Amino acid sequence: MNKHIVSITEDQRDCYQEIANVAMGQAAALLAKLLEVKVILPIPVVNLIEVNELRMALSGIENSDKVSGVCQGFIGNKISGEALLIFNDASLSDIAKLLKYSNELDTSLDLELLMDVANILIGACLRGIGSQLDVNFSQGHPVVLGQHVNLSELISTNNYRWSKTLAIEINYKIEGYDINCDLLLLFAEDAIEVLNNKVNYLLED
Amino acid sequence: MTNQNISNDEFKEIHSLMGMLQNLDVGLVVLDREYNIQLWNNFMESHSGMNPYEVRNQNLFSVFPEINQVWFTHKAECVFQLNTRAFTTWEQRPYLFKFKNYRPITGSAEFMYQNTTIIPLDSATGQVERIGIIVYDVTDVAVNKLELKAINSKFKQLSRVDKLTGLYNRGYWEECLISEFKRAKRTEQPCSLVMFDIDHFKTVNDKYGHPAGDVAIKFVSDALVNTIRETDIAGRYGGEEFAAILINSTAEQAAVFAERLREYVEQSILEYQGIKFNFTISLGVAEVASGTQSHNEWLDTTDHALYYAKEHGRNQVHIATKQKN
Repeated sequence: MNKHIVSITEDQRDCYQEIANVAMGQAAALLAKLLEVKVILPIPVVNLIEVNELRMALSGIENSDKVSGVCQGFIGNKISGEALLIFNDASLSDIAKLLKYSNELDTSLDLELLMDVANILIGACLRGIGSQLDVNFSQGHPVVLGQHVNLSELISTNNYRWSKTLAIEINYKIEGYDINCDLLLLFAEDAIEVLNNKVNYLLED
Repeated sequence: MTNQNISNDEFKEIHSLMGMLQNLDVGLVVLDREYNIQLWNNFMESHSGMNPYEVRNQNLFSVFPEINQVWFTHKAECVFQLNTRAFTTWEQRPYLFKFKNYRPITGSAEFMYQNTTIIPLDSATGQVERIGIIVYDVTDVAVNKLELKAINSKFKQLSRVDKLTGLYNRGYWEECLISEFKRAKRTEQPCSLVMFDIDHFKTVNDKYGHPAGDVAIKFVSDALVNTIRETDIAGRYGGEEFAAILINSTAEQAAVFAERLREYVEQSILEYQGIKFNFTISLGVAEVASGTQSHNEWLDTTDHALYYAKEHGRNQVHIATKQKN
């Protein structure tokens, strides 16, 4: 069987960007409500990349920085993928302030912060995307990828099952705070065709 | 629809559905806004030893005082207020409910590691009135991961240490040197390097044999470890060559340390298989100067000082002349 080459058109890319924009806005609104801050909304970056180029999709994070990250799988209506949330470690003390954790910043507290923000951002983004595409995503349990490591150590696995991924990168910043976190939504190769059909339907309107 | 109107079929369906929920090997708990327990499935009953009638309408935190209330309500309030799911992993806290390991005989963990998902319920009105807690037993995953982590850190330790002396090996010591060099440059705190080797080590080996040489090396490394402070970083640089990074020390302070070590070695008499012998060491000292460009340059300067000490009669400490800015 000839392998079907996956691609997205410019129109489809714009559509994904718009969907991500709406979802990200909803997620940011929840975050703002919880933390009582102003979240600076970036423009989501949509790219069809090789999985081994994942590193390049994380443009908001420098390679030399120490980072921590969690990863959560999701699936619904044959659309599967993973959400990656990566924090620059420099952000942690400011996040602790925002989440009103008063204890000293130890390893387990870092993890609490990471999980709290991941719960909100990933959950809300998936719900936002799901409601626009009429998909109800199930979420797996989040997995800690690593803490206080280099980016390359965090995403070092190289036995990737699919070769291409639709990556949506959202770089969140919070006004008045030194907080930098990257949310990456990665859709599996076999999900891209399903997604393309869905957005084509939206584009027809 | 009132209860009276439920048809026989619907009743059967609900009954089988409840049977599924009851027997699901996952903990299910429903809490109301005040954290009172509303639902308690079979898993929870079996592991806690408390039946649903006992815990119904009881406050979660009074039934389970071991739950950290501040922590749990922090997560749960997000679910109530934002109508989103929350996940907690065993890595944050090993468990929410302290249950025994499902395998009390062959399992190595003392308790059940748990992941939990907190889901908003009754949100039809947009208002979350109840939350559901799903408790997963992840003991096997957690134990495997913890064991792997322990083994990895053991390997890491082994790969960093020289077997004979227990000092850092050259590879790891150089990594430390690089980061300490960068730190010294950044913080502008003094930092000194001491390098030394055993004088006429070849003679020691030739005269008393290689095992005696090993004894000498072990003796010097023990002396080094006993002389440095905990924050200093000592390594075996080569065969009979040693190095130590003295943090927050000027060249003069490092020289005091070096002189103490030299004197100690000079005065000590070793014994191997009944034969007594002694030896001396030569030491070179250099402080990071503002003009020092790289860790290699720092190393070279120290090495030259050591070479100078060797050339000028051995059994002495030589401080590298400070570089001009």
